[in-house]
Parts: sequence; structure tokens; C-alpha cells
Amino acid sequence: EKEFHSVANETLHRLQEKIDEYGEKLAIDGFDTDFAEGVLTVRLGDLGTYVINKQTPNRQIWLSSPVSGPARFDWQDSQWVYRRTKVELQSLLEKELSELLGHSIDLGE
Amino acid sequence: RFYHEKVVDHYNNPRNVGSFDASDPSVGTGLVGAPACGDVMKLQIRVGDDGKIVDSCFKTFGCGSAIASSSVASEWIKGKGMDEVSKITNNDIAKHLSLPPVKLHCSMLAEDAIKAAIKDYDAKRKK
Repeated sequence: EKEFHSVANETLHRLQEKIDEYGEKLAIDGFDTDFAEGVLTVRLGDLGTYVINKQTPNRQIWLSSPVSGPARFDWQDSQWVYRRTKVELQSLLEKELSELLGHSIDLGE
Repeated sequence: RFYHEKVVDHYNNPRNVGSFDASDPSVGTGLVGAPACGDVMKLQIRVGDDGKIVDSCFKTFGCGSAIASSSVASEWIKGKGMDEVSKITNNDIAKHLSLPPVKLHCSMLAEDAIKAAIKDYDAKRKK
């Protein structure tokens, strides 16, 4: 469980940092991020709100997207993967945010 | 926190709370969720000779949105055929209840419960 928290926290923290950078750079209306108690909330004004949180009992990261709805990610082969669609968390966010914000988004290191 | 009035309505007046005999051949039971996360839904269907769902009931352990989602699901599936019902998505339920982002997982669970009940019924019929 400690490993889960360590990996998940690192992921969420990095996502917040990267998204914050874009928030500043792109001057999005109603932009706000908040990371507290294992819940990362990203507000994009009228474009919608993302909620990404740790679901500790299942060792998962849960995502609620204004574009694709809910998804649950498991840590597999050093990636967060949604078993149903095999989609990876970072790529999903990059793709959706790029479309929503009209700007290419890179959330990697 | 603020719950939409539709959610409160289903919470105060849930439709179709109850249980069917799971061993009855005309009954399909969908059990989804995990107590560790705080949400468990049991949705049951009774299928008639014409292949349509004649009755449904549910029991849900979880938050108001989870209860409302499964209550809505149990209402919507009555009188419908199973193909039609498998088209109900978590998005339909979420929009109907105006669920906030953090509760979309509840409507997803309700969609899973419907599919699980159908799968169970089909599996029983094959035996």
C-alpha cells in the first residue's frame, strides 16, 4: 500500500504541476487546480471539470472526465492503464486536453 | 455538498427496493462494486416469456448518488427487452440526475449492474 501511495502521489503531483503550467501559459477562463486529500480537481471553466483521485482500497486512480466520463486505472507495467479500453492515463489526458484547449499538451517528464 | 433534487427524490422514495429469489430461472442478478470503496449494488431482473423485463428490483449500499443511480436504472429497465436495456449508459443516468464529476463513478456502477444482471440471466438460460 505504501508503494501505491508513493506512485499515485507522484503521478497526481506531476499532473498538477504540468497542468498548472499550461493553465498559466494559456490563460484559460475559470482555470483552477486543487490537490488535497488525494484528490486532484482541475477546473477549466465552461469546458468542464476533471476529478482525478486515489482510490486506495482498490489501489487505483479514478478519473472523472467531462469528455469521456468515469474511468479507473490500475498500475500495470509502470503505467496507469484502464483495463476496459487499455488506454493509458497520461495519453488520455493529453489527447482530451489538447482537443479541449486547442493546444498540444505534453504531461510527460 | 449539494445533492440535486432528483437524487434526493430517489433517496427518499427509492423505487423498486427489494429482492427476488436468485435461484429462480427467470431472474438475473447483477452484483457489482466493492464494500472497501463504499459502494455495492445488487440489481435483479425478472424476465418474461417474451424476453422482456417484467420486473426489477435493487438493493444498494452506498452514497445518495449510488442509490439514485441504481433506482433510476431499476425503473428504466422495466418493460424493455434486454438488447434495448444494454444500450443504457452511465452517461444517460448521470445526465438524468445531473451528477457532479466526482459521482460519475456511481452511474458507471449502475450501468455495470444492468449488464451483470443480463449476463447472469443469459448464463442461467444456457445451463
